[in-house]
Amino acid sequence: MAQSSIATTGFVIPPGQDPVSVFEKHRAELLRSRLVMNITLIVLFLALLIVSVIISRFYPERLWNGLPRIFEYFGTVMPSLEADKLFEGRAENGKAVPGSLLFWYSDIGKYVRLLFETILMAITATMLGVALAFVLSFPAARNLALTRWSNILARRTAEVFRGVPEIVIALVLVFAVGIGPLAGVIAIAIHTAGALGKLFSEVNENASMRPVEGVRSVGGNWFAEMRFGVVPQVLPNFVSYALLRFEINVRASSIVGFVGAGGIGQELNHTISFYNDDRVMAVLILIVLLVTTIDLISERVRTRLIGRENLI
Amino acid sequence: MLEITQLTKAFGPNKAVDNITLSVPQGQMVGVIGRSGAGKSTLLRMVNRLAEPTDGKILFGGREVTALRGRALYAWRAECAMVFQQFNLVGRMSVINNVLMGRIFHHGFATAMLQIFGPEERALAIRALDRLGMAHTALQRAETLSGGQMQRVAIARALVQQPKLMLADEPIASLDPLNAKVVMDALRTINREDGITVLANLHTLDTARTYCDRIVGLMEGRVVFDGTPDQLTDRQAREIYGAEADDAFSEGVTSTSLRPAQPVRALEGAE
Repeated sequence: MAQSSIATTGFVIPPGQDPVSVFEKHRAELLRSRLVMNITLIVLFLALLIVSVIISRFYPERLWNGLPRIFEYFGTVMPSLEADKLFEGRAENGKAVPGSLLFWYSDIGKYVRLLFETILMAITATMLGVALAFVLSFPAARNLALTRWSNILARRTAEVFRGVPEIVIALVLVFAVGIGPLAGVIAIAIHTAGALGKLFSEVNENASMRPVEGVRSVGGNWFAEMRFGVVPQVLPNFVSYALLRFEINVRASSIVGFVGAGGIGQELNHTISFYNDDRVMAVLILIVLLVTTIDLISERVRTRLIGRENLI
Repeated sequence: MLEITQLTKAFGPNKAVDNITLSVPQGQMVGVIGRSGAGKSTLLRMVNRLAEPTDGKILFGGREVTALRGRALYAWRAECAMVFQQFNLVGRMSVINNVLMGRIFHHGFATAMLQIFGPEERALAIRALDRLGMAHTALQRAETLSGGQMQRVAIARALVQQPKLMLADEPIASLDPLNAKVVMDALRTINREDGITVLANLHTLDTARTYCDRIVGLMEGRVVFDGTPDQLTDRQAREIYGAEADDAFSEGVTSTSLRPAQPVRALEGAE
């Protein structure tokens, strides 16, 4: 929008005239021409906003009336713990006592195994996705692509990869490769490649071209230019984005289980559809704990990496 | 009066600036010379506190610059303008708004964030630009300008700060000779007409000789020469730049100034 006005922003100060008044005249002209555009945009924006509110029926009273029902649901999945029995072990008949923590978390072994599987899925998917995104990011960067067609191809590929929600890819893959974590890992990896490919390529586009020119000037080919001109500049950013994606993927891998693609989501789906009792809450708490822990650790690592310049 | 006392800046075991004591009267134009890495930039950057000294004091008009904090520090930076080698303009912003940045200290949060400047301030900025022959570019984006033009805009930005002291860190190192002359002439004029003290790091000796009242030579963070251009002998210059005694050393080699072409000496014996 602003690009078009550049050509007209220069002006001439006739000799003998006061530069301030000449400037003020041109400034007023420029402001007038922008005013029309700005008002049009604001009106358009408001009109679209009103239409969206009406279509989505985003009315405050609906939200207000629905609010209590949220708590109602949580009421049904709350555990019934009793203070005096809280830490009681198994009774003589080998069964847990109702009202104890052990009773609530009697399936803890299964949960832990699935949580572990969830983390492994996230790690594998992130690694695969990052590798693919790395490869895509260089041709997908406008300033680095060798040809226009490789640029378009890389960009469209990344778009398709991130355009399809991972749960949809997972659903298709479960059909193809069967129930289990493999489908989930591939689904998340594909989505990761698309999302990170876009972010990585933007980092590449902001990289300084001077080192690239330096490598070119000594006779390096395109791969040498990328490896030594670009990668050292962008790597800290790549690592930071990859870790951020890992956090997102932990959440994603606890969801894809809903369609049978492995991880703790499988168990959450199971408890919701078969029991709908305090076991739902038990699994939910574990998922929240897992995601929060991973987020905290990953954030620490990221802030440490950002300041470091000697990363290769 | 700028008084620097026993100023030191250490990066680990290395002392970039080592115990420098210097006193600059108001209105003087000082050229700081020395090899790259001699501590010229660090010295200048400490004066407006872009770099923190490890030890020592800087006083300006009796005020202890090195002890300033918070708003008082911002006030000092507003008063002590800086011109950079790479201009440090905001490329995607218009020239006039870049220049008006020089007034930002005098604004509250809201008017600063929304870039609301009054007509008097705009007039001040345009007059500063006009002094440097750049008023006609006021509404363009800064990134559309050439290097020499950008440096002139940067000086205009420094001017609207209405500073008492102007620091110039290699202001002409990235410019061609003609633009270098325009920029140095501008600094000299500002120094003469407005009585602003100018402290400039210069990478060529002859520029320092041509424009400055006083030359300070630095070597490994210490002052090794302090005097008028006339007092700076070839031998001393050699010492400042650390040239070996028998190395060929000629000011003309590094010169970026424009001078009339030397008449070619007639060949001996030719009629």
